[in-house]
Amino acid sequence: MQQNSPQQTPAQPSLVPPGETPPPEGRDPPPHRVTLAAREVQPARECFGIEHLSLFYRDKQALFDVSMSIPEKQVTAFIGPSGCGKSTLLRCCNRLNELIDGVRTEGAINLRGENIYTRGTDISNLRRRVGMVFQKPNPFPKSIYENVAYGLRIQGIKNRRLIDRTVEEALRGAALWDEVRDRLHENALGLSGGQQQRLVIARAIAIEPEVLLLDEPASALDPISTLKIEELIFELKASYTIVIVTHNMQQAARVSDYTAFMYMGNLVEFGATNEVFTTPKKKQTEDYITGRYG
Amino acid sequence: MTASPLSEITRALLAQRGWRVLKDRLFGWTMAVGGLAVISALLTLFLFLLWVIFPLFRSASLTPLKASAARAEPALHRSLNEYGDLEFVVTADGRYHFVDALTGAERDGGSLLAPGRGTLLPGLTGYRNHGVLALGLTDGRALLVTPTYRSTFVNNIPGVAASLSYPVGREPIQVLPVGTKLRALAAATTADSTTIAAVSDNDELTMAYLAPAGGLALDPDNAPLETTLMVLGRVAGPVTQVLVDPDQQELYTVTESGEVSFFDIRDKAAPRLVETTRVVPGGVTVTDVRWLAGGNSLLVGDSRGRVAQWFPARDQTNARHLTKVREFTALSAPISRIEPEYFRKGFVASDLTGQVALYHTTAERTLVVAATGLGELASLAISPRAAVLMATDAQGQTRRWAVSNRHPEVSWHSLWEKVWYEGRQQPEYIWQSSSASSDFEPKFSLTPLVFGTLKAAFYSLLFAIPIAVMGAIYTAYFMHATLRAFVKPSIEIMAALPTVILGFLAGLWLAPIIESHLLAVLSLTILLPLSVLLASLLWSLCPLRLRALLRPGHEVLLLVPLICVVLALAMGASQPLEELWFGGSLPHWLTQKFGFTYEQRNSLVVGIAMGFAVIPTIFSISEDAIFAVPGALTTGSLALGATPWQTLSRVVVLTASPGIFAAVMIGLGRAVGETMIVLMSTGNTPVMDFSIFQGFRALSANIAVEMPEAEVNSTHFRVLFLAAFVLFLTTFVFNSVAEVVRQRLRRRYGNL
Repeated sequence: MQQNSPQQTPAQPSLVPPGETPPPEGRDPPPHRVTLAAREVQPARECFGIEHLSLFYRDKQALFDVSMSIPEKQVTAFIGPSGCGKSTLLRCCNRLNELIDGVRTEGAINLRGENIYTRGTDISNLRRRVGMVFQKPNPFPKSIYENVAYGLRIQGIKNRRLIDRTVEEALRGAALWDEVRDRLHENALGLSGGQQQRLVIARAIAIEPEVLLLDEPASALDPISTLKIEELIFELKASYTIVIVTHNMQQAARVSDYTAFMYMGNLVEFGATNEVFTTPKKKQTEDYITGRYG
Repeated sequence: MTASPLSEITRALLAQRGWRVLKDRLFGWTMAVGGLAVISALLTLFLFLLWVIFPLFRSASLTPLKASAARAEPALHRSLNEYGDLEFVVTADGRYHFVDALTGAERDGGSLLAPGRGTLLPGLTGYRNHGVLALGLTDGRALLVTPTYRSTFVNNIPGVAASLSYPVGREPIQVLPVGTKLRALAAATTADSTTIAAVSDNDELTMAYLAPAGGLALDPDNAPLETTLMVLGRVAGPVTQVLVDPDQQELYTVTESGEVSFFDIRDKAAPRLVETTRVVPGGVTVTDVRWLAGGNSLLVGDSRGRVAQWFPARDQTNARHLTKVREFTALSAPISRIEPEYFRKGFVASDLTGQVALYHTTAERTLVVAATGLGELASLAISPRAAVLMATDAQGQTRRWAVSNRHPEVSWHSLWEKVWYEGRQQPEYIWQSSSASSDFEPKFSLTPLVFGTLKAAFYSLLFAIPIAVMGAIYTAYFMHATLRAFVKPSIEIMAALPTVILGFLAGLWLAPIIESHLLAVLSLTILLPLSVLLASLLWSLCPLRLRALLRPGHEVLLLVPLICVVLALAMGASQPLEELWFGGSLPHWLTQKFGFTYEQRNSLVVGIAMGFAVIPTIFSISEDAIFAVPGALTTGSLALGATPWQTLSRVVVLTASPGIFAAVMIGLGRAVGETMIVLMSTGNTPVMDFSIFQGFRALSANIAVEMPEAEVNSTHFRVLFLAAFVLFLTTFVFNSVAEVVRQRLRRRYGNL
């Protein structure tokens, strides 16, 4: 099993009690340098530490002893051919795989040093800390406002003013505010696919998660919407750790700082994106990136 | 240019094309024909119902008949036989005869009085009272006569033989002290006795009571009659009319200014004045007073052209007071004559300008108003079958009409509003279509039936909705797939259970059990959910090793024995506890303590039985709706940190709400139309009481019960069709509302 991880920083126990996020640090303007070569890899703290993770669907093993360290406030991309287990790995990060019957996991995932696969883990709280956006936009059949407010309401927040402010901030954060400010109380299902996907991102960031998991967030969208989502990922990187699964290697190259290449349930290669794309250490990675199979 | 040679496969495809197009068209036509056939079948049903119902709401009509060929002659009294073809005439000179209304031929005439034995009093018009006509003589005597008609069949030609009979003999009876003059006279007669009331010109009221001598006679036909003459004394006058009811229990005197004195004469030895009531305001005079058919109500016509119905209604203390029940104001000139129908609660009135109007009392309908073309009428007669109306003026000029008036007793008022029927304390909603006695009035209020239908639907949905919807939620959202594959079809098969079996079980098996174990049944509504919750709690506290013994999702099967045990415990403990706390029987205790009426076949039984009939429908449709909620929404909600319960209540149920709503509405439609269960497990008493411990009668059950015994094309028959129409409309409305709401909701949640 190959492990390529960036600078391993010792996992630090979080000083922040669960349920609260550290205040966002001063937001720098997002880097506008999109070229690969110019991007530098910053030494980063670990957000997710995946340790010897194996996953079984009944008797069929889908993940084989995966270990990696996902750095904080960076974009990490999972790439690989269909069925390689990248989405499964992503869904392990918020324990969403458990909804499927007969799923069994071995190993551990540490979120800021705490294993999320213990019996005492509060799954609802875990999922609040680890937001997720899916391939197909899935707004609820409610108004735009209620969609964004949903995460707050289920946490029992009733303060209208707080909810109003959060909804606006989240929609601004998802670059949707200007398009929907006049029709907040219309049904969210009336939005276009790209708008719906940004609404879903707004819904996810409204509850201030620490991590955003994006499961092929742009694959169902047209190129312009895709571009908007990618720009949005740049902006969100300043505040959130982002893990993205994508089929599109250009997208991975454009948006991510780190890339993990998976194949048949194994993590083949993991490293800084510019290294993985320019000087892959494994032949499998090179073959995939150059389009020889996949 | 040469056509390029077609490849083999292209040719094969082309060869099939024509057939495919034909099949497609055939299919399209079949669908269109099928759809149209369904719509036209429904429409036909609808139109047929309307066609049967329509005559109920037609007003009456009068068609002039050929004027009688009989010579015009002034008469004291005129009446018609059953078919309106023979006329009975009494003239002022003391003679009578029958006249064939078509030919004018005079038949079977004669003198009423033997020569020199008295003269008829000309001013005193005799009134028919259930066939008996009282005629006053100038010397204070009275003669009772009854025209009798007999069907004959001579030489194969049907005919009528008419003759006059004398109920109390040919000899006039002295009803006033000798030397006084009659002003008003009335008589009533039955097989056993006869009562004649008379008022003299100095307002002295007397009553003659004739009964066979010596009480029970061996040969009642020939027993000598014993006459008792009682002088009741002076009454407020001047009296214009006196009335005796056909049962000889009530006696009224009427003055011109509207003072009506009510005498109770049930005890013939001691008649007593009950009360005197003024029936018209000051300045208005009473012009005519008659009995309504049945002899329970007085019809009071006044100088304003109004006719009011009055009857002695009982108050809270059970005392009877003459009460005005309703009033008809179709005519505006003073009323000259009132003539009641023989068997129905309708009557005809005429005014001084010669207008006649046909009314029905309980329906509060003025059926028709027509001009006679005559001036003030001297007599007004209606045939016993109410098919011919005859008006005659003082000169003896006659007009005759064929009356078409089939269903006067039906109106919006009598069908849907509270109606004050004779003998009742207040207006009520009553359905009573038949009775053992013949002089009863059918009461067709659909309100208690609609109430019963809605009550049945309410209680059955109260039972079914929680179970069906929660069951659907559990099955679709929580239940293990293998178990679901077994549970869902099983519940759907329940829908195929014939409702007659459910009704039979409910009425004959369940109802007695509920009555004897009422405490258990009531407490189970709390005990069952509680024990299930408790069991779930205990299960979650079980060590994992024990829980692993069952396949995941199958632990729900443990509830089956649990529910059985709770059921058995509750049933077993019910009777001892009822002994201990409620003196042996909870229904009895409820009746004594709170005055609840407990019927064995009540709404609780129906609710449970019909609930079972409705559950499969509601369950199946709402389960489909919940199961169809996209998994992406569920995962989306869970990924936001919502608990499964929050996801269920805020996303899944919301998204499935169109389907759940449609399920409930379709269940409601089914409950409303359901027949056999309500027929067999309620008492079918049309009461208006929302108590769960009382029965009711539903529209559908009413149709099923009464249709076989309703005479075709009678009012009863048509009202039953009306009930069917209302039922049809109700289910139609419920299903349409369900569909509209469902479509609207689906549009809202459509692009998921």
